[in-house]
Amino acid sequence: MTFRQFAYRNVFRNFRNYAAFFMASFFSVFVFFLYSMLMFHPEMESGFIGEVSIVGMVIAEIILVLFSWFFIFYSMKAFLEARSKEFAILLHLGMERRQLNKLVFLETMIIGLLSSMSGILFGFAFSKFFFMVIREILGLEDLPLYVSWAPFLLTFSVFMGAFVIISFGSVMYRPDPKLNDLLKRQSMDVSDQYSKRRAFLGIVLILVGYMLALITSKTTLFTFTLLIPIFVAFGTFYFFTDSVFLLLDLLKRQKSFYWHKARMLSVAEQLYTMRQNAKMFFVVAIVSMLAMLCVVLLAALSSYTAQYDKLNPLGIVYKGHVDNPYETEHVLSIISELEEQGFSYHITRFEVIKQTSLATSNEVEIFRETDINRMLFSYGLPLIRMNPGEGMFIPYSDESIKNLEDVTVETVLTENNLPITIDRVYPEIIFPTSIVSRNSIIISDEDFDRLVNPLAVEGEPPAYHLFAFDIPHWIEAKDIGLAIQHIVSHEYVTNSVYSLPFYFENTGLNYSYILATYSLFTVVGVLVVVVFLLAAGSFIYFKLYANLERERQQFIVLKRMGLTDLEQKRLITRHLAPQFFLPWGVALLHSTFAFIALQSVLKDIVNLIIVKEIIIAFCLFAIVQVVYFYMIRWRYIAHLKD
Amino acid sequence: MSILNINEVTKVYEGKVTTRALNQLSFEVNEGEFLAVMGPSGSGKTTLLNLISMIDTPTTGEIIFNGMRPQSLNSTELAYFRRRQLGFIFQDFNLLPMLTVEENIILPLTLDEKPVAMMEERLTALADKLDLQNILEKRPNEISGGQAQRTAIARALIHEPSLILADEPTGNLDSNASREVLELLSKMNREKTATIVMVTHDPIAASYCDRVLFIKDGEFFNEVYRDDRRQAFFQRILNVLSLLGGQVGDFSSIRLP
Repeated sequence: MTFRQFAYRNVFRNFRNYAAFFMASFFSVFVFFLYSMLMFHPEMESGFIGEVSIVGMVIAEIILVLFSWFFIFYSMKAFLEARSKEFAILLHLGMERRQLNKLVFLETMIIGLLSSMSGILFGFAFSKFFFMVIREILGLEDLPLYVSWAPFLLTFSVFMGAFVIISFGSVMYRPDPKLNDLLKRQSMDVSDQYSKRRAFLGIVLILVGYMLALITSKTTLFTFTLLIPIFVAFGTFYFFTDSVFLLLDLLKRQKSFYWHKARMLSVAEQLYTMRQNAKMFFVVAIVSMLAMLCVVLLAALSSYTAQYDKLNPLGIVYKGHVDNPYETEHVLSIISELEEQGFSYHITRFEVIKQTSLATSNEVEIFRETDINRMLFSYGLPLIRMNPGEGMFIPYSDESIKNLEDVTVETVLTENNLPITIDRVYPEIIFPTSIVSRNSIIISDEDFDRLVNPLAVEGEPPAYHLFAFDIPHWIEAKDIGLAIQHIVSHEYVTNSVYSLPFYFENTGLNYSYILATYSLFTVVGVLVVVVFLLAAGSFIYFKLYANLERERQQFIVLKRMGLTDLEQKRLITRHLAPQFFLPWGVALLHSTFAFIALQSVLKDIVNLIIVKEIIIAFCLFAIVQVVYFYMIRWRYIAHLKD
Repeated sequence: MSILNINEVTKVYEGKVTTRALNQLSFEVNEGEFLAVMGPSGSGKTTLLNLISMIDTPTTGEIIFNGMRPQSLNSTELAYFRRRQLGFIFQDFNLLPMLTVEENIILPLTLDEKPVAMMEERLTALADKLDLQNILEKRPNEISGGQAQRTAIARALIHEPSLILADEPTGNLDSNASREVLELLSKMNREKTATIVMVTHDPIAASYCDRVLFIKDGEFFNEVYRDDRRQAFFQRILNVLSLLGGQVGDFSSIRLP
């Protein structure tokens, strides 16, 4: 038997021992390959979701690579630790250190090669299915399967590279094994030392992070998004390395609690597990938090796209000053483009006059009853009827409809000394938020004709024209007015003050941008979440696997001492549950606060409530986690028994 | 009065190779007795201990404990039986590494949901007797082998079981610690009238007992009762061992004065 044969037989005859490590590598390769298939898709290059996506996908791919490397490295470490007794026997029999390294390297390469190949194979087998899922998510017409060497080569080289580096790294940086320790494997670190200072620091840092999250607003967003993660990350780290021990110590002092039934065992066991896995729990908590935030962001975006139609009832809006020289030219070009491409549309021209209100001394924008009715007619909404002296608010958001409903304002338009009583609000959003100001009212034609004196404020245009195009098929009309759109966006980019005499907005175009961003986030998010979920659970499983022998020994002793089967099961549950749910609980708490911050920011920007989506997303997470927990508990009990 | 009655017990292990570990073995243990079971390797000592502690069930024959048959209990009742009636002392101590000495000792009581006041009372009393007061807060990996075995004895005694089963309790200890542990066991046997069944290889350990039972190939071989002088008892044990035909682990070194 040559050395290579020995390594080979080691792997194939004890495949069960290697299976855990193999599966970890296999899943990483599998997910990575699927993602690469998508990234190298020919349709991708033709840009089915825009320019941004390629950059975004490459970044996501890099994150995936880093993560799977870390994942493999971690599995490798746990795997080697679990086998230290076997290594001890080999060293005892006179194997050189160099030969041992070579053995580990060879075995890792065998496992690596096998898992890379089978991962790619399964990845390719499932890629059609994966494309179908992606097609559904992105709402694409077709996303055919293709064959290209690129994803194969990328995946294979990335992972074989990883295996070479990791297997070298893990044997190089292993401390010289003390034969005696390895054979005994008794050295178990059970010290419960912790620093009180760091324990408190951990709790304080997390609380400060939470406080900041609670008071985040649009203005403080930037500084806080830099500060909060730092506070929370360090706080979480200290929480797992020290604060947990402080809390458990407090618990242990309550003898009537602690010395009750098997509680003593579970708490002490927990202490040990925490000591062993503090760093891992930190990683799992952070990773799970990222996954949750990913889902939150997805939910927020999806609810935004769902509400988009409602918030933007008009297809195209062109707004210009009264003395806008391009008005005729632009409006005619829009109309001719619409007609050329065969869109049905309805155009309404508004003249909007600005006045000062006596009650608030703010500027108000005044719309004419007939103009509004013309547009309402094209929408198919109920028309309005105004009497002289009456006014009606134009809502700018869902919330404003509710708020303004019961408000009655008696005011005088100072420039023309015209008294108006505003006591109603139109019950639907009829203009996009970006077009009308928050003080917009409708008055009767008679009153409107009396507004002869212009706005008294200097330097402000006293009135503007608004061309509202109602296009039933607005989503397809995204290419209308591209030339004007370019001028507008160019102005936005180059000048800090908007100085053009006109403004243009194409809802279909904006929607297509948002949809593209959303789709990208969805695809990347789903994949990252999959990898994260897989990784978080596997970390825990590996640690359990590495400690299995000790646990088994312990349960044999306890059984002799009269532990019932039920109590044993309960003990296992109590032993496993915190490992699953503590990092997740912390992650959940973190993301709740992150969500509160996000909510207050989103509310300021786009005014939408995403509570429902978030709750659904978190429930899904919880279900997945519980299923995962029971699965691993089942496997673990099975392993303990045989 | 007999507390344990082993009656014609046979244990056969079925498998690729069928082995008869115990063959129609019968003996009694009286209350307050300190019994040693000796025999060469493979004579069925461990099987016997497993049968008494109900980890395993006999193929034929019956074991009567305090007038009842534990074999007829279901697994939960059996667990309750073990935690209340039996105490265990193992060769490699089997203390739980994450618990302190104190916690290890009271473990049987916490499993049985006894009040904290009672646990503390018994703990103090036992710690005094076994000289453990100074190490109560330590972990098993911070104490010596002798201390660990004393802790294990305290754990086996704290719930005042009817029977204590000791499996080679001195197997991992040096001669001083062995003597200490054996003296403790016989002291506990006298003072607390604890019934002890000890399985051992070591004739010195056996010489601390009231009676030594020898088994060979799963069958009863001989028994020796203690008389006034331990030296003479020890010599008689050695005589029986030499009849047994070697293979008893520490035979030669023991012959040294």
